[in-house]
Amino acid sequence: MLQKKICMLGGFGVGKTSLVRRFVQSIFSETYLTTVGVKIDKKSVALPGKTVDLILWDLAGEDDIGSFRVSHVRGATGLVLVVDGTRAATLAAALTLRERVEAEFGTMPFVLLFNKSDLADRWAISDGDINELRQLGWQIYLTSALSGEHVDDAFRQLASMVAR
Amino acid sequence: MHRLPKEVGSWIYNFFYDEHSIAYLKIDAELCVAAKGGNVKHYGLSSLRIGQPVADQLEFMEGLLPSPELPYHMAMVELPSGRVADLHLFADSAYVWLLFLDATVERDNRQRLQQKAYEMTLLQERERQLNEKLQSVNEALRESQEGLQREYQRAETLLLNILPASIAERLKADEQIADNHAEVSVLFADIVGFTERARSVGAVTTLAILNYFFKAADRLSERYGCEKIKTIGDCVMVVAGLPAARSDHAEALARYALELRKAVKRERFTGGRLRLRIGIHSGPIVAGVIGKRRFAYDLWGETVNLAARIQTSAEPDEIRISDATHTLLGPNFACEPLAETELRGTGRVRMWRLPA
Repeated sequence: MLQKKICMLGGFGVGKTSLVRRFVQSIFSETYLTTVGVKIDKKSVALPGKTVDLILWDLAGEDDIGSFRVSHVRGATGLVLVVDGTRAATLAAALTLRERVEAEFGTMPFVLLFNKSDLADRWAISDGDINELRQLGWQIYLTSALSGEHVDDAFRQLASMVAR
Repeated sequence: MHRLPKEVGSWIYNFFYDEHSIAYLKIDAELCVAAKGGNVKHYGLSSLRIGQPVADQLEFMEGLLPSPELPYHMAMVELPSGRVADLHLFADSAYVWLLFLDATVERDNRQRLQQKAYEMTLLQERERQLNEKLQSVNEALRESQEGLQREYQRAETLLLNILPASIAERLKADEQIADNHAEVSVLFADIVGFTERARSVGAVTTLAILNYFFKAADRLSERYGCEKIKTIGDCVMVVAGLPAARSDHAEALARYALELRKAVKRERFTGGRLRLRIGIHSGPIVAGVIGKRRFAYDLWGETVNLAARIQTSAEPDEIRISDATHTLLGPNFACEPLAETELRGTGRVRMWRLPA
């Protein structure tokens, strides 16, 4: 059995839980319900020639990134970094979380999601910034947990990266 | 160990066990389940098979063991079964123990508080964003208003340069403008030998000459209450008695002509001083604006034509006026009579010379 632990990382209210719900159960709720502690979900992803079970650790997005428990990431083989595209400061938060995790556990595959792409009129991240990160070779997706846009693509991409 | 009476200890144990549904797993060195106990049903652990790898049966254990940092505590973990548990991992010499303590109530309480705090923070962030947007929209609005104001002023200045102020006002009010004026005087003035001079002195000097001449014509228009209607090449057309009628239009234009001649004489240019031919005639004309996008305020009528012919017939440095103008001027100007002259398209005309 191919089973991989994946951690959802990002500031609070960026949509980590909504993305997991959209991916795992194909549903979205407008109601914001903050995650306290950890939520664990599982989803099988069929890849060419194999199936990988993603064990999704939906970690509470801390207001204060300093209080994030890096140790929860132990055993993870991939990260989903989530940014709220309507709040520019959440990009720095996601990148900081990744740095802290990599300092503890070394580099691991990740995808970077700019979420809430449905809120185009409130979008706060410039195309230039996104392109700059793409130049680094990063896998970047503009997702909407509301519409489902690119959510599956992002998770499947990460699944194929960790199943390698 | 703190010394507590066994009744207290037993009470606390029972209380804790009931409130937190304690269950445990014992995990061996091969990371397989060695034993389980407590309220296993509560966490859906009943079907856990002894001797099988723990991570295959409990997904969240994937990757966690072996762990160098035991004891390890994970607070408020919502399991796939929906139960929320505090998980404690600790080790003895042979086994790792995994303890489940139900934390649903604590999690829910904490979530209520956290939720309020985050919602508040999100609202504040949103408010700040909206304020910033409002400010930038206001700023842009103010800038475009200022730009518009500047454009308007520029257009107004341009219009006033082209048209008399009262005509410009009426034009802005979308009026059609074609007015009969019974009594005005019209002047034409041009530079003697301008074309030849332009050819010999070059473009820069030519422009300087025209600039000087037309600026003088403008300046004097203001001083004598005349209107410079237009320039045609090196020729200016000036009118008095327009757009507001005045009885002394002939006199005003005569004084204008004298000053213009004086002003032009004063200045030296390459190729010698400038000399003008000036002609004036008085009578009725039609004044109006033609064009929609590029306005031209102009005069029409026989009076205009004759004034032009008189100007053409004038000698260098001469201000030649028609009989009609001469009559209007009266005795204030000691004019010299000229011999009746044949003018093209008009026949024989009596004319006068305005003295220096």
